[in-house]
Amino acid sequence: MNNKSRRDFLQLCGLAGLGVAAPVWFPSLSRAESEGLSPYDGPFYVVFNASGGWDTTYLMDPKGTSEINRLYKDGDILTHGNHKFAPTTGKFQAGMSNEDFYTEFGSELLILNGLDYSVNNHSPGQRYMATGKLDSMAYPTFAALVAACKGPACPLAFLTFGNYSNTGNLVAMSRINFLPALNKVANADSIDGSLKRPYQDDFVVDRIQRALKEQLDTRVSDTLLPRVERAQSMLYAAQINSQSLQRITPYIPSTIPKERMSQQAEIALAAFKAGVCVSANLSIGQFDSHANNDVDQMRLIPELLAGIAYFIRRAEELKLRDKLVIVVQSEMGRTPNYNKGNGKDHWSIGSAIVMGQGIRGNRVVGATDEKQFAVPVVPTTLACDKDSGIRMRPEHIHNELRVLAGIADHPMSKKFPLGVAEKDRLKTLWA
Amino acid sequence: MSRRPNRSRSPAYVVLPFLVAVSSGFCVEGPGTAAPAKPDSTEASYRGPACIAQSDYFSDEVWTKVAAQACLKCHKTGGDAEDTKLVLEDPTREKTPGEALRNNRQAFERVAKLWEKDESRLLLKAAGGLDHEGKAVLKADSTGYRILAQWVHLVNAPAGEKLAMKAASAKDAHAFFDGIIMLDNRKLLRRATLSLAGRLPSEQELAAVEKDGLKAMRPILDSLMKEDAFYERLGEGFNDILLTRGYDGVPETALSYDSFEKTRGWTQRYDVSAAGDEAAQRKARYKLTDDYREAMLREPTELVKYIVRNDRPFTEIVTADYIMVSPYTARGYGVFEELRDKFHDPENPFEYVPVRLTALKFRNGKVQESPTGFYPHAGLLTTFQYLRRYPTTETNRNRLRARMYYQHFLGIDVLELAPRVSDAAAITAKFKVPTMEASECVICHKTVDPVAGLFQDYYQLPDALYGPRKEGWFKDMFSPGFEGDDLPSQDRWRALQWLGEKTAKDPRFATTMVGHVYDVLTGRKVLGPPASIDDPLYDAKRRAYQAQRSEIERIAAIFVKGGFNLKDAFKEWVASPFYRVEGRKPAAGAPANPERQAELADLGLARLLSPEQLERKIAAVFGKPWGRLKEQQIGLLYGGIDSKEVTERAADPSGAMGALQRIMSNEVACENVAADFALPPDQRRLFPQIELDVMPGASAEGDQCIRAAIVHLHQLVLGQYDATEKDPEVERTFRLFAGILEDAHARKGLEPTEKYDCRVPGEPRSADPNYTLRAWRGVVTYLLRQESFLYE
Repeated sequence: MNNKSRRDFLQLCGLAGLGVAAPVWFPSLSRAESEGLSPYDGPFYVVFNASGGWDTTYLMDPKGTSEINRLYKDGDILTHGNHKFAPTTGKFQAGMSNEDFYTEFGSELLILNGLDYSVNNHSPGQRYMATGKLDSMAYPTFAALVAACKGPACPLAFLTFGNYSNTGNLVAMSRINFLPALNKVANADSIDGSLKRPYQDDFVVDRIQRALKEQLDTRVSDTLLPRVERAQSMLYAAQINSQSLQRITPYIPSTIPKERMSQQAEIALAAFKAGVCVSANLSIGQFDSHANNDVDQMRLIPELLAGIAYFIRRAEELKLRDKLVIVVQSEMGRTPNYNKGNGKDHWSIGSAIVMGQGIRGNRVVGATDEKQFAVPVVPTTLACDKDSGIRMRPEHIHNELRVLAGIADHPMSKKFPLGVAEKDRLKTLWA
Repeated sequence: MSRRPNRSRSPAYVVLPFLVAVSSGFCVEGPGTAAPAKPDSTEASYRGPACIAQSDYFSDEVWTKVAAQACLKCHKTGGDAEDTKLVLEDPTREKTPGEALRNNRQAFERVAKLWEKDESRLLLKAAGGLDHEGKAVLKADSTGYRILAQWVHLVNAPAGEKLAMKAASAKDAHAFFDGIIMLDNRKLLRRATLSLAGRLPSEQELAAVEKDGLKAMRPILDSLMKEDAFYERLGEGFNDILLTRGYDGVPETALSYDSFEKTRGWTQRYDVSAAGDEAAQRKARYKLTDDYREAMLREPTELVKYIVRNDRPFTEIVTADYIMVSPYTARGYGVFEELRDKFHDPENPFEYVPVRLTALKFRNGKVQESPTGFYPHAGLLTTFQYLRRYPTTETNRNRLRARMYYQHFLGIDVLELAPRVSDAAAITAKFKVPTMEASECVICHKTVDPVAGLFQDYYQLPDALYGPRKEGWFKDMFSPGFEGDDLPSQDRWRALQWLGEKTAKDPRFATTMVGHVYDVLTGRKVLGPPASIDDPLYDAKRRAYQAQRSEIERIAAIFVKGGFNLKDAFKEWVASPFYRVEGRKPAAGAPANPERQAELADLGLARLLSPEQLERKIAAVFGKPWGRLKEQQIGLLYGGIDSKEVTERAADPSGAMGALQRIMSNEVACENVAADFALPPDQRRLFPQIELDVMPGASAEGDQCIRAAIVHLHQLVLGQYDATEKDPEVERTFRLFAGILEDAHARKGLEPTEKYDCRVPGEPRSADPNYTLRAWRGVVTYLLRQESFLYE
């Protein structure tokens, strides 16, 4: 299949709405050949998941009234610039307080409050928050979509450590759960990963590579079923792109941090720094605090914040901080009251944090009222107005994330429309 | 809103975007987005020939695109709208094919004739009017609403009037497999033996399928399904579905402290003094414990294996009045001594026998309620591992278990498409018990909560093993039962047995099990119906779904007729075109046709081998496994699962997996090529017909010999039984071999020996003066990196 017929084929796949990853792998082949697998240089997209449903009133949407929280009162609520947040110093054992988090990052944070998840079950909530689409099982997560659009030649384009990670068949998902694994795969053509001890002479490797490429070019034809054609191309791309993994070894730290989120951070950052990754989906769980809400949330929110801080500080050291786009989210909030077990159940209203390249910080968009119901937002002004506003939902955020990433008009994005009317777009969300 | 279509307008037009005119000269108008008017009985007139059967329109459009998606959830027996005039039947539960659709069509005809003044009650209700408890299920400008409006129009059309429209699906109906090429029977056999038994087909088996074709497959599969390797694969495949190995805590905690306090930790007290000194004893105890834990994790899938191995009805996975125990786990239950004689080898941790446990006794001396004196086993449903894997909390109230029950045994994901509500938080706050009062919640909870209630005796928190809730079961939930049937009070103590019996009779059970077999064979779930009726490719996707669904139902019928013998499902799937499909004929490929592309999107196996499968394949081809993929971390890196955090196998290779494939191909070739050449020719697997001194280009005879060797490799490694010396792929491999040697001979200073790491174990480095050994290693490396090897 020549280049033109490949393009034709890709267009067809797009038209057909098929789960064909062709737009990913064919560019990867041509790039690999023409650019020598050049590193991806950002922006890098990171999604932090508080899996299980976080209590936003203990972080960015404090209440302090009517038994919504028990650890502080209304008068205890703190501010930093335009932000209001719950006081947590002295209320947890390990991690980072809200006070420290806002002091260090408040000027960069865009808080989205009063986000309407529309459902209060974990699975659909996770799917909705990750993809911007509630009623489809086929949509890719934002992290997967942006990886497919921006980093088709990256061997670890989309890294995930948990939570909902559907790829929409656009890109392969990479799971690397322990740092030493990176060393094991970095130099695949060398015995025990030692570059001084290759398995084959260079010309043999080259001959094999060329034979595989020749074979792929010959086989891509009208006689192959879409699944088979896709499999062959994905396989070829995975093997050829994996060669660039050798760039990762200098960035693998010699010591492994003990905190779970820091471990994920090191893997993601090493992959970013090596230019082999576009997006990473980091996650910690156990937020589902149906019993003893305050104990659980005061263990996990500080852990989450510490993990984010660790990530950003390490990114600073690696000179990556300015290239990050960070989303911090959960699949639901917690009820504005406690149950009999001192826990809080599922609540369909919550919040998200966004920060990074292209996002103006020190801002809060949206709100909840005194009973923790969502207050509608006017799309044009982002002001809260229960009469003329709209309910801010995940698709609104995802629509603007696609715009921010410059992929809104990408054919792969268009294959997964979010259905946000132009009049409902939050066009100034990042400004 | 126009209520009365202007029938005098001509020519006719069709407004439904996905409906096409069949015969342009005879079409009359449809109602478009407008609701149809109540018919005027005085206005009967002939409008043209019949172009569409009403029943087609109902099945293709009304039922498929609207009713099944928007109405059935509530308007069925046991549903929230079971007391209304519109009560539908679920076709997936019908006993007689076509019966449900016929009855549903009649029901829809009846309601389509009901009017509220001049407006259709059916449409008013669908749009949320007339106090429809399900609120608005269709927007007035939606495709679904237009379909329903068309239906009302069609039903109420004057006698003789027919609409000249038909669904696109009917227009271009064609055989689904037209233009599709099926796999050569020898390749099919290799696919099946590798997939199900982790071995290559024997020469006799190959000869049999070559002679008798597909007919020969059945006896071969019958024989194969007696092999232990099949049961290893079966257990692995069902764990991928049930994930029972993934429960929290050490495995023996599946046995509750309250009932097994004195026995579950037996390995800590077991006499290991015979092992030797203290270190040896410690090591022996570690192994004892490891084996005990592994045996405990295997119990649920051992039940699956036992049922299939003994040709028992597969309904026993929800009805069996026994569990499987090994000598090790029997000690954990405290029943080893009474079972000792039933084991062939009482010291084998992995020999399993069925056993019926007596009613559980608790530390306080009480005994589980049981008129029979036995634990009320209900197959997997009451195994401690299944219950631990899907635990509950005081808030969840067994709903996770109900959800998993529906998913595992009836093929329904109750959370797959949760309905969006305008303000879920407001609903939660508005009602005291939203799950029983808010229609948005009731839709699902009326189905889920009764099943959750059937698990009520497994509520000893936090482990949620046997033990009723102290305060009694929740009153603010729909009462225990199953889809409209309340749990009889006399069955209260055996509620899950009651559920298991209901399940075994449910037609959805058979189709779900057939779907599970498809999952084991292909690594993916069966297709669901396409979701969006506004998708321009909806009809094509629907055809793909229906074609597969028909096959599932065909196989399910055979499965049921054969007494729920799961082996029937395996045999039928292997012989099915869905498993045998290989490619498409060039002329029929129609690459420019997106609809055909969409139809074929899920066709073809193209399954990336799991770490376990790849290891087995390497062992089958080379005589020994690679071994590295058995390491847990490497296995996970290669897309494996841990049944707990990582529960879905990777379908596509990432760059890290691509790297592992390169490592594997390098290492396996390194370990095997020199070692194979070191053997006498008649003992070689890889190179039985060639020696290292045969060089390409030296003679025609030599080249033919090399090509023959390559053909053998293509057959052995890639399963290309139809490969010949003239095959383009063989020629490409030949060129690779020759090219490597050409490069090598042009390069000065190369060592005349094979690499140290690739030598024959225990031998000095192999001589390789012509570089042919390394060139053959390059060839094997190349073959191992191909889709034909790494995919199924």
